[in-house]
Formats: sequence, structure tokens, C-alpha cells
Amino acid sequence: MARRTEPPDGGWGWVVVLSAFFQSALVFGVLRSFGVFFVEFVAAFGEQAARVSWIASIGIAVQQFGSPVGSALSTKFGPRPVVMTGGILAALGMLLASFATSLTHLYLSIGLLSGSGWALTFAPTLACLSCYFSRRRSLATALALTGVGLSSFAFAPLFQWLLSHYAWRGSLLLVSALSLHLVACGALLRPPSLAEDPAVGGPRAQLTSLLHHGPFLRYTVALTLINTGYFIPYLHLVAHLQDLNWDPLPAAFLLSVAAISDLVGRVVSGWLGDAVPGPVTRLLMLWTTLTGVSLALFPVARAPTALVALAVAYGFTSGALAPLAFSVLPELVGTKRIYCGLGLLQMIESIGGLLGPPLSGYLRDVTGNYTASFVVAGAFLLSGSGILLTLPDFFSCFSTTTSRPQDLVTEALDIKVPLPKEGLEED
Amino acid sequence: MRALPGLLAARAPTPRLLLLLQCLLATARPSSADGSALDLPFTSLPLREEMMANNFSSESHNISLTEHSSMPVEKNITLERPSNVNLTCQFTTSGDLNAVNVTWKKDSEQLENNYLVSATGSTLYTQYRFTIINSKQMGSYSCFFREEKEQRGTFNFKVPELHGKNKPLISYVGDSTVLTCKCQNCFPLNWTWYSTNGSIKVPVGVQMNKYVINETYANETKLKITQLLEEDGGSYWCHALFQLGESEEHIELVVLSYLVPLKPFLAIVAEVVLLVATILLCEKYTQKKKKHSDEGKEFEQIEQLKSDDSNGIENNVPRHRKNESLGQ
Repeated sequence: MARRTEPPDGGWGWVVVLSAFFQSALVFGVLRSFGVFFVEFVAAFGEQAARVSWIASIGIAVQQFGSPVGSALSTKFGPRPVVMTGGILAALGMLLASFATSLTHLYLSIGLLSGSGWALTFAPTLACLSCYFSRRRSLATALALTGVGLSSFAFAPLFQWLLSHYAWRGSLLLVSALSLHLVACGALLRPPSLAEDPAVGGPRAQLTSLLHHGPFLRYTVALTLINTGYFIPYLHLVAHLQDLNWDPLPAAFLLSVAAISDLVGRVVSGWLGDAVPGPVTRLLMLWTTLTGVSLALFPVARAPTALVALAVAYGFTSGALAPLAFSVLPELVGTKRIYCGLGLLQMIESIGGLLGPPLSGYLRDVTGNYTASFVVAGAFLLSGSGILLTLPDFFSCFSTTTSRPQDLVTEALDIKVPLPKEGLEED
Repeated sequence: MRALPGLLAARAPTPRLLLLLQCLLATARPSSADGSALDLPFTSLPLREEMMANNFSSESHNISLTEHSSMPVEKNITLERPSNVNLTCQFTTSGDLNAVNVTWKKDSEQLENNYLVSATGSTLYTQYRFTIINSKQMGSYSCFFREEKEQRGTFNFKVPELHGKNKPLISYVGDSTVLTCKCQNCFPLNWTWYSTNGSIKVPVGVQMNKYVINETYANETKLKITQLLEEDGGSYWCHALFQLGESEEHIELVVLSYLVPLKPFLAIVAEVVLLVATILLCEKYTQKKKKHSDEGKEFEQIEQLKSDDSNGIENNVPRHRKNESLGQ
């Protein structure tokens, strides 16, 4: 069977997309809907809200900081065993949490154990996806990430229903069983049959080579800045609306509108990223700039129609930039270093994600309203998009992912039984 | 005995002084509920001994009716302490005010003539004042204006309601749970908890695992149950005692054993194991197929080679020709 140096761009790749879809749903959907358990934990342990929210914070922090570990392991062993182990760890964490007798117990089981399980799943899966797609990479990534949006819709009411029938202990047990499906998703990650050279050195060598790679470092800085501003509306939009004397129900409705346009933005951007010729970096810069502008305009808008329009714009553009952020990476560092690159990227950009919301809250406390917070968030996004200008191939006319003629020749010469008939078939 | 004249003076002052005093008191105390400053055109006020000697709070409430009011007008008033109550009804009509018959009723029995009626312009005012001391005086007080049709305004006096949880409280064997009952802005004299055994309410006594906690706020009570057993599940009642009556609320407690969520858990785990096995087996199967088909292809090719070789001598010339034509 002829081995190809080019990604298949389809076939089993779509099954990997499906697996990534369910994984992003099971990891981020669960994390985002954890607020439902929040009230129950406060009541059950009699603790303050701040201490209970550490559970989710530890989980997110471990997931993001542990990404390089997941990536390094998958470079060595391939994505499948790593993701399956991650799934088992995540489910085990939730299982142990259902027996918790104190808050520390929950920090360790959900925060540490499930968090490390999640760290071993997400980065390797996205990297594996990039190995399967080159021409349609953006679309594939976008479709995979829609899992996050849809699961946020589905899991919150599901968890609420579970809580009303089984209380928090039983619900954690059943969420553990749900998380076990990550193992099944991991089983689908067949390593692609690419005739790659063996990885350039081990994971450690890859990491050091990445840290000396100028474009990669610049890209990481850009994404960190973007990340700092990205999450602020999710947290502070409702509060900002209440400052403007909106009722809770219309405010929640506005968030739903933003979430729907986020979903649409992801898919459209994915399709667009593949359909439009040229480097994807340009599109990423476009979306990032638009997101920054819409964020900065939020404080200016007062009328409900203007706010709704801005929410739709923000949702669309922020959803649009998400899949592209992942598909730029293979163009920069190559498919061999993709696993390590993704892990390292996630770890560093998480600093932005962790610092952004508290900074925004601090600005709000100091100035009394959210004007400064939103403007600063927009500024972060715009500065991040500015750094994107410095990436290589930004101003070139051709994409670096088009197949080169010499690859096809290598293919032809790779045939094992050089019969004339086979030669005719090849043509 | 100089003190005596002073005392006597306090007990039976002149009406004019009292009128002034009453007006001052009325302006000084914040009026409850409607807050609209009612200008009551009453010239004389009946004096009650209790009203001056007690230090109860004062409550004033007002209902406005017109001849066209179609729905009965009601006002719900929450009261927990003994108070002096001042109820006013006003009725606006275009007809003759003298033809209107005014009555007051408590629940369904008519009240005697200790209420006032007065008129200004086209509005008829009536006022009823009384003191609520215990639960017997709680209930519904209605003012009636009868022309051709009867218009009615009702004041409903109730003790504060308790709020528990609408949904049942779910917990597990061996866990501990807290049942809470609270009411808004109230200070009950006493809280009691009951559990139901069938249809009999049994007060929650000094049982091993049940503790009543009343400290933190006066307007809430908590029942903490530790080391839950399945028999601890069922209906619980929290009971608040006020000077003017009682109020109670029902809370349902459900105690589950670990087997309840364990069954769906094991079912889902089995399903996942099945999925993973299916996926891995399918992959092995397709790989085997590929190997077989590859081997089959190679076998065919080898067979073809052999046959070609054997036919080579006869078909040499045509083959060359074929190759030549394709070479172009």
C-alpha cells in the first residue's frame, strides 16, 4: 500500500473530527456547566462561595498547565493511549468526588485528578486533527470546537435534572460515567498512516527547538494577549447589563444570542479559512481586530438594539477566531512538532486567560463601571492582532499548505512491485 | 398628693388636647402600606382607653372604591404583633351620598356602630379602628357600600407565612442534611419541628441524630440531621408561634441509598466498554482485510507474471506493439 506524505483531508479524518467534537463537549461543556453544582456544594459543605469556586479554577488551571505534558506524551506514544488514559483519569476524579466529605477532597479529586485527565485529552486530539487535514484544516477544527457551544446548552439543564433526582453525590457519579466516554473517543484516534520522518528528537528536544523558534514565540505572545481580553465578556456582560438596568431574563437572552452567533461564527470561519486562498493568519487578524473593536464599542452603546447588534458581532467574531487560532499553528511549526507546539501554546496562553478576568474586575472596582474593563479588553485583542502582522508569510500570496510537486514524485517511486501494469494504473 | 392630679390629668385629658396629640402622633409615625397621606375629614374621634395606655404599633390601611368597581378589592396585611389598627374605606360615586348604606363586617358577622362615616364632595369615607391583641381578632374585615349594587373592600389579616423548599430535599444514607424554614421580617416567639409518622405529627424530640438550630437569625430555623437512615425520610413540618397565631410549612426529605445511582452508572460504564471494544475490534478487522486484500493482489500479480511469462514467446510481437503505441 502506497504511503503518502500528504494528509488525507477526509476519510477517517472526519471520524477524528467527530471524536474531537465529543471530547470538547465532554471536557469544556462539563467545566462550563459546573456552576450548577456550585449552589449544591455551598449548601452541602457550608462553605463560602469563593472557596467553592476554587474547585473549577483548579480544574481549569491543571487542564491548561498540563497540556504540554499531554502533548509530550502523545509525541512519544501516539494520541490514542494518551487520550484514553486521560479519559479514565477524568472519570476517576469525578467518581472519587462523589464520596467527598470535605472541600479539600473535592479540590484534589475534581481539580487535580480530573483536571490532569482533561489535560491529557484536548491538546493531543487537536494535534491529531491537524495531522489528518491540510486543505480543510480550519473547517475541521471549527466543527470539532462547536462541541463546546452545543454542550453548554445541553449540559446545564441535564445537570440540573440530575441534581433534582440524585442530589450532588449521585449526579457526580453519573457525570463520571459520562466522562468515561472520553475513552471511547480516544479509541477512535487512529494514528494517520503518514510516511513522516520520526519525530525530530524526543519531546524535550522538540520543546527546546520550539522555544527558539521566533515565529512560534511571537504567535504565543499574540495569543496570550488575545486570551486576556477574550473571556471578559462571558464573565462581565451580564453584570454590565445589570448596571444599565436590564432585567435578568433579557440579559440572559442576550448571552444566548451571543452564544448562537458564536457557534455560527465558528463554522463559517472554518469554511472560509479553507476556501480563501492565502495564509490563514490574515483571516485570524481580521477576526481578532473586529472582536477587539466590538468589545471596545460595548461601553458606548446604550440603546438595546445597539447592544444586541454588538453582542451578535462579538459572538460571531470571537467564535470565528477560535478555530483559526489552532489551525495557524501547523503552518508555523510543521506537523512533526504539532503536539508539543499545541501543548506549549495552551500553557502560555492560559496565563492570559487566568489574569484577564481579575484585571477586568479590578478595573471595575476602581472606576465604578465596566467602561475601562471593556476598553482594555479590546485593547488587548487589538495589540494581539498587531503582533500577528509580524508572522512570516503574512504578506505572501500563497499558502504554505499547498502540496508540492516533489511529494507526488516521491510517492510514485515508493511502489514496492514495479510491474508495468501497476505503473499504468498509477497514471 | 400632688402626683395624683398629674396622674388624673394624664388619664382623662380634654378632647381638644387629645385631638392635637392624635394629629401630632399621626404625622410623626410613618404610615404603613399605602403611604398616601390621607386627609381624614373627621371632626370627632372616639377615644379608647387601650389605645392611649398601650405602646402597640399603629397600622393604617386604606381602600378606594368607585361605583364602577367590578372586582372585589382586597388587601392582604401581614401582622405578627398586637397593634392598633386603623382601616379606612372611601367610596366615590356620582349619585346621592345619603342614599348609600355603609356597613362593616368581620368575616361574616356584622360589627356594631363603632365606626365613623363622613363625606366630602362626592366621596364617602368610613373608618374603623380597633386593636388586635390575639388570634381571635385576626381575619377578614370588610367595608360595604350599598347603593343599588353593593361595593366591597376587604382587609385580610394574616400571620407571616413560612417559606421552606418547594422541591423535596434529597440526601444519602450516612450523610447529614439541614432543613431550613424562614419567613420574611418576622420574629416568632417559638419554633417547633414535627415529623409525620403516617398521618400523626410527632414533635422532633431529643433523638440521637436530630438537632434544632435556632441561633443565627430570628427569622429562620434549621433542623440538622446527621447519620441519615432510610427511615429518616418523609414529611417534616416547621411550626412558628406568634402572638397573633401560628404558621407552618411542609418540607419533604428523601433519603436514597447508594444503589440508586449505582445502577445507571454501571449500565453506562458497560456501554462505554462495549463501544471501545467494538471500535478496536472493527479496526483490527479492517486491518486484517487490508492485509488479505494486499496479499491477494500480490498473489494475483505474481500469477499474472507467471502466465505472461508462459505466453511471452507467442505474444511477444503484439506486446511490443502495445508498448510502442502507449509509449507515444
